[in-house]
Amino acid sequence: MKKKLYVPHPGHFDGLKELISEAGKDIYSIFMAGSPDYVGTGRSNLSSPQIEDIREQTEYAHKNGVAVEIVLNSSCMGGRHLTPEGFNLIHWYLEQLDSCGVDTIVVADPFLVEAVAKDFSMKPVVSVLSFVNSPEKAEFYYDLGASSIVVDPDVHRHFDVLHAIRDAVDCELKLLVNEGCLYQCPFRYAHFNFFSHAFGPQPRPNVLTDYYYERCILLRIKDPRLIINSPWIRPEDIHEYADVTNVFKIGGRTHYINWILNCVRAYTDERYDGNLMDLLDCPKDLKDLYYISNRDLDYAINHWKNCPTVCADCGFCRDLTEKAVRVYTGGGTESERLIEWSKIADETAVHA
Amino acid sequence: MITEELLQVRSDIENNLRMLLGRAVMVTDLDAFALPCGCNGITANIRGLELDDIEVFEEQMLIYFKKTASRLGIPPSFIFARLIPGSSVVAAINWRVLCDRCYPDFARARGKTPRPDIYIMHLERRGQQKGTKKG
Repeated sequence: MKKKLYVPHPGHFDGLKELISEAGKDIYSIFMAGSPDYVGTGRSNLSSPQIEDIREQTEYAHKNGVAVEIVLNSSCMGGRHLTPEGFNLIHWYLEQLDSCGVDTIVVADPFLVEAVAKDFSMKPVVSVLSFVNSPEKAEFYYDLGASSIVVDPDVHRHFDVLHAIRDAVDCELKLLVNEGCLYQCPFRYAHFNFFSHAFGPQPRPNVLTDYYYERCILLRIKDPRLIINSPWIRPEDIHEYADVTNVFKIGGRTHYINWILNCVRAYTDERYDGNLMDLLDCPKDLKDLYYISNRDLDYAINHWKNCPTVCADCGFCRDLTEKAVRVYTGGGTESERLIEWSKIADETAVHA
Repeated sequence: MITEELLQVRSDIENNLRMLLGRAVMVTDLDAFALPCGCNGITANIRGLELDDIEVFEEQMLIYFKKTASRLGIPPSFIFARLIPGSSVVAAINWRVLCDRCYPDFARARGKTPRPDIYIMHLERRGQQKGTKKG
């Protein structure tokens, strides 16, 4: 079955034109955020396309054979959607999106899954932020009317669970291939709730710093194994999921178009000869710290397909980290080079 | 050119911290700043560093940070770490030449944390300073 790629779009019309002109034939659908004035999303906002802009972009995408998905996957709406005013406002916004011809709406709240399924022609997609990680949860959302479910990446390397989810529901399953978040991330709920408010409707909290992001980065600088055992799916490995789904979503709608196109090419060709960090949506800061040759990860999937994921008893990802992770030293200077992560203390030189 | 010097200093700070700690640390950017009050200096935004690391290696770090200040032509009068509030995560190291208005905010504070997100590594009280540079 032909592979379907859902591709991130930052939200500006010029970006859409570039995506379609460069890779339109490889894109099944683009996805972008709507206006944060109604429902937030799981990412910061680069743009806030208004209704007429979404209508214009949807018409353009459809003319070029590309579907349009709008992401409204706030993980916390503070109960506003259950008030009469909040419900009316969100329902009005969904009506507008429906009238624009939007194909699918990604939502995280079960209430919105049901509302979209019941009242609109556009189809509800269950967000990765609904954390569907079991056949039971998948069935629950399917019964609410989900037309598609983005599976929780935490089970990407639990093939028994993926197969059980596949067998439990008749709707489409989507795999988010390059999110790059921590496996079993302890910050996940709190971080996305924070995003939902910080980049959602007013009033927005005036926070000093994103604690969850900073702590996440710190952990992965101290231990890059947390990048290796993050549940990304390499371009070369997506065929291993053929009996689960043929639908794959590339994360990254806060990146430049050039970065997005590089990912589209990699996942279209199912091959990437470069730094794995180039493909991961998060943590993008660390691509200037780590070089992880994608070739060094060939065949790791054979272990992960049967991995019991009791890391303390295993050591596979630890060994792979030692072998594959290299660190930039002297970055941005004439003496820039790569050294093995495990030898960082021995090989680091100071200029002055 | 100042930006070339900044590139080299960024890399050297990163390497120095890696040698001290024996693991990766990343200086995500090194910025020169000038504030409307008259404060000025350099900020190194850092990932991979915690307050514990500073407390253990403070003496060694401080020697290096003072040299770094001299290299960039900044009086090493005030050096502090900025923390993510409520946590031990170090967000940045700052070399700041305090203006007359901001100086009391730090000089009058007791201990090393005049504010929960500031950890003072070094502060020359005005009486101790060799120069009399304003700002």
